[in-house]
Amino acid sequence: MKNFLKRFYLIIILLFLYLPIVTLIVLSFNDTKTMGVWKGFTLKWYQDMFSNPQILNAFCNTLFIALLAAVVSTVVGTVACVGIMALSKRQKNAVLQATNIPLLNADIVTAVALLLAFGMFGISLSLGTVVFAHITFCLPYVILNVLPKLRQTGTIHFEAAQDLGATPLYAFMHIVLPDIMPGVFSGFLLAFTMSLDDFIITYFTRGAGINTISTLVYSQVKVGIRPTIFALSTVIFVLVLIVLLLSNFLPEKMEKAREKAEKEGRELTPEQRKKRRTAKRIGAGIVAAAVVAVCVLASPYVGAMAGKGEVIYFYNYGDYIDPDLISAFEAETGISVVMDTFDTNESMYPIIEGGQVSYDLIVAGDYTIEKMIENKLIQPINYDNIPNAANLEPAYMEILASTDPGNQYMIPYTWGTVGILYNKTMIPEGRITSWKDLWDPELAEHGILMMDSLRDTFMVAELILGYDMNTSDPEELQKVVDLLIEQQPLVQAYENDSARDDIITESAGLGMIYSGEYLYCLDENENLDYVIPEEGTNVWFDCFVIPTNAKNKEGAEKFINFMLDAEAGLATFNYLTYPIPNAATMELIDEEIREDENVFPSQETLDRCDRFHYLGKEADQVLASYWKRFRGN
Amino acid sequence: MSNILELQHVSKKFDNDLVLDDLCLEVKENTFMTLLGPSGCGKTTTLRIIGGFTTPDQGCVLFEGKDITNLPPNKRQLNTVFQKYALFPHMTVGENIAFGLKISGKSDEYIRDKIKYALKLVNMDDYANRDVTMLSGGQQQRIAIARAIVNEPKVLLLDEPLGALDLKLRQDMQYELIRLKNELGITFIYVTHDQEEALTMSDTVVVMNQGYIQQMGTPENIYNEPENAFVATFIGDSNILGGIMLRDKLVRILGTDFPCVDTGFGVNKPVDVVIRPEDVILGEAGKGQMDGVVSHLIFKGVHYEMEVQAGGFEWLVQSTSMFPVGQPVSLSVDPFNIQIMNKPESEDEEAVVVDV
Repeated sequence: MKNFLKRFYLIIILLFLYLPIVTLIVLSFNDTKTMGVWKGFTLKWYQDMFSNPQILNAFCNTLFIALLAAVVSTVVGTVACVGIMALSKRQKNAVLQATNIPLLNADIVTAVALLLAFGMFGISLSLGTVVFAHITFCLPYVILNVLPKLRQTGTIHFEAAQDLGATPLYAFMHIVLPDIMPGVFSGFLLAFTMSLDDFIITYFTRGAGINTISTLVYSQVKVGIRPTIFALSTVIFVLVLIVLLLSNFLPEKMEKAREKAEKEGRELTPEQRKKRRTAKRIGAGIVAAAVVAVCVLASPYVGAMAGKGEVIYFYNYGDYIDPDLISAFEAETGISVVMDTFDTNESMYPIIEGGQVSYDLIVAGDYTIEKMIENKLIQPINYDNIPNAANLEPAYMEILASTDPGNQYMIPYTWGTVGILYNKTMIPEGRITSWKDLWDPELAEHGILMMDSLRDTFMVAELILGYDMNTSDPEELQKVVDLLIEQQPLVQAYENDSARDDIITESAGLGMIYSGEYLYCLDENENLDYVIPEEGTNVWFDCFVIPTNAKNKEGAEKFINFMLDAEAGLATFNYLTYPIPNAATMELIDEEIREDENVFPSQETLDRCDRFHYLGKEADQVLASYWKRFRGN
Repeated sequence: MSNILELQHVSKKFDNDLVLDDLCLEVKENTFMTLLGPSGCGKTTTLRIIGGFTTPDQGCVLFEGKDITNLPPNKRQLNTVFQKYALFPHMTVGENIAFGLKISGKSDEYIRDKIKYALKLVNMDDYANRDVTMLSGGQQQRIAIARAIVNEPKVLLLDEPLGALDLKLRQDMQYELIRLKNELGITFIYVTHDQEEALTMSDTVVVMNQGYIQQMGTPENIYNEPENAFVATFIGDSNILGGIMLRDKLVRILGTDFPCVDTGFGVNKPVDVVIRPEDVILGEAGKGQMDGVVSHLIFKGVHYEMEVQAGGFEWLVQSTSMFPVGQPVSLSVDPFNIQIMNKPESEDEEAVVVDV
């Protein structure tokens, strides 16, 4: 019984530790984009991963940064340890305190401090600043690993070697280093892994177009994580596992052979001796491989630094463009596109406002762009360079002109509406017509999903109450909050990214969703339908804009022109499933979809709709305070 | 015999702590010299200055007449056997021994012969391929010696090399070291706090305390004629008493006049008197120079050790015949066995009693 309990306990612990990783690995072979269901085995996500230049680039970046940071910090840290050992006790303590503080310091503080320091000394952010930052935070870990080992070894072997005629350098390399090698090696591995999974510091210190795996994954939050990321994570997990096994298993095996020989009180056989040599050689091999890998991974950067031609720096939502289009543009024009990604408008805005990183082209949401126009962060676009602008649907351009008179600044990339997605097997077709249906207790039993997004969620209640969706009147907002609180018992969940999965897997019957998600969901579950309620909705646009500090405006305009091509629009539509405001593209889309009023609403429907506007700082704060009242309830 | 090594007016401070103060030392070629003293007396620092691991603040080190004070250790023609052996753990016995030879660029054949020769010298012929971490303490010590001597140093420095060994092994190794020294014909400078070790092996013993040389001489000389109370206490057991030199060859101790053989101290001069416990002769009460009562008795194997209360002083006495506790006895001392010393003149020379 006792044994059973012991084993049971162990199994529970192992489950806790490994179930999430097993889930990840299994899902990376799942033949569907939805997380909840198994639809058969596939390797296509791995294929996708290896053919997606952005992922490969982030993967190479991550490895390059981690290897370089680990190698440099190991060398510098080990040398520092030798110096620390030579200090008097009081000095030694002082230095150790100084090196340990960054270790305990919050990452965010280190990150912001580094960002400020780079800015202060006029160093523009780049791959170099990321590597530098990583070396900085890896150093204490190396010192922490090497110093105890060095202390344990003491100076006696070092002195003995010198006594026998060795120069200090020879003595260090041949006597001290082999002694402290386990510490140096574990310091290297720790630095490597710390660098590998760092997000915050990388995020703050990277230059335009530099993505590591963690920043790439994070920037994809807006559109939801694709299974290619599961595949990538699986590959990384397996890689780390191999490194760990190698580093644990090899020395242990050597130690065992030695212990055995010791017990039996006999010499190592020539065979064991050979094995030990082989193990040593494998160790040396790993180090050599690391160095070679750094060199190989570095070569593209060296090439890039040598200046191989025209470049545009493009700032976009994560996974918000078909990577094949970028390759096609590069092949056609010879201009290379360095794309950097963000997750929300709110996280992108301060970076542009700060001006430390200069981009040539940005994709952003319309009401954020209003704010950028007001603050003069973007410049007018030269339509002479964009003949394909003629393809744009004039009706949409007219809508945009209400905030951007003369369409000077923004060229729409995608657009859409917010509506209600529901399952026809649970709710009869035509039953849903109004936003009020989300307050219907009868429908609540199928599961109602609401967005967890200030403007969108407030909009629903505002439209029901007959208010303007851009209101910031406190009295009206109080009524909006009251109405939303009244709805709370009926709502299954407030969520953004997982809403589509919940509806696909039929764990919820209806919910608020962006129109672009509708086609995506229809692919996975054909029983779904989308409705724009009779009260109307928000029509949103994501647009191309060119920042004031762009260095290659002409290149950016060439890229916009390329994207407005009919075929390119179709590729974008197929990749994102979001409507494209491109009249030429519309003609290429399947008639069945083109006629789908849900995806491409009629002028009549559009007339019922409105758009979010930038309301100014004060109004933003009022809204935020009411949002807090609602979410805090 | 000429001086192979000389220390001239060497001083060394560590963090305001004066470890060596104006130390002068001459080492003759082909001698076995021992630096003896309690821990903290400066003997190890002296050895490290000779080895080149510590630089003196003042003074210089001469090797065969040449100044080597600032020469790094790897350029000096001496080798050291370290206290904890300091064998390189990731090398075999053979590789350890070959280390110095490889650096000086000797041929493989020469190295192979040398390893064989050195291992034979320390009686460990077949150990070349062993792992050093698998050896016992005594074996490691021999390898450390072998590793040092293959480089044919002119002076071999040994820093308490037997400290970590058990008593029996230590005694064996003492004879081994004397044999080695005679076979190699080189100078040994040996550091220890063990007076027995020093007396057994050395040609010359240098007794050190608080950074000063207290006395230097042959083992017999040091033992029989300690120059001050420190040396007397540190080397063997002794009774040290205050006395007054009444005139040449007569000293008053605890109110009793004892004839002695020392002269030249003047008249009515206060002195220190050393009497070794084995030199005190016990007899029937009233028949010696002084009377007393036995207060403690311990059996030590070769002899009995007793404490005798006499004249207000507790005498330490070693004798092969036993007197039970409480028995009245008489004490007497042969004039040759009374050692007269000047009272210390300065604080620095003050005897410091150290438990060793």
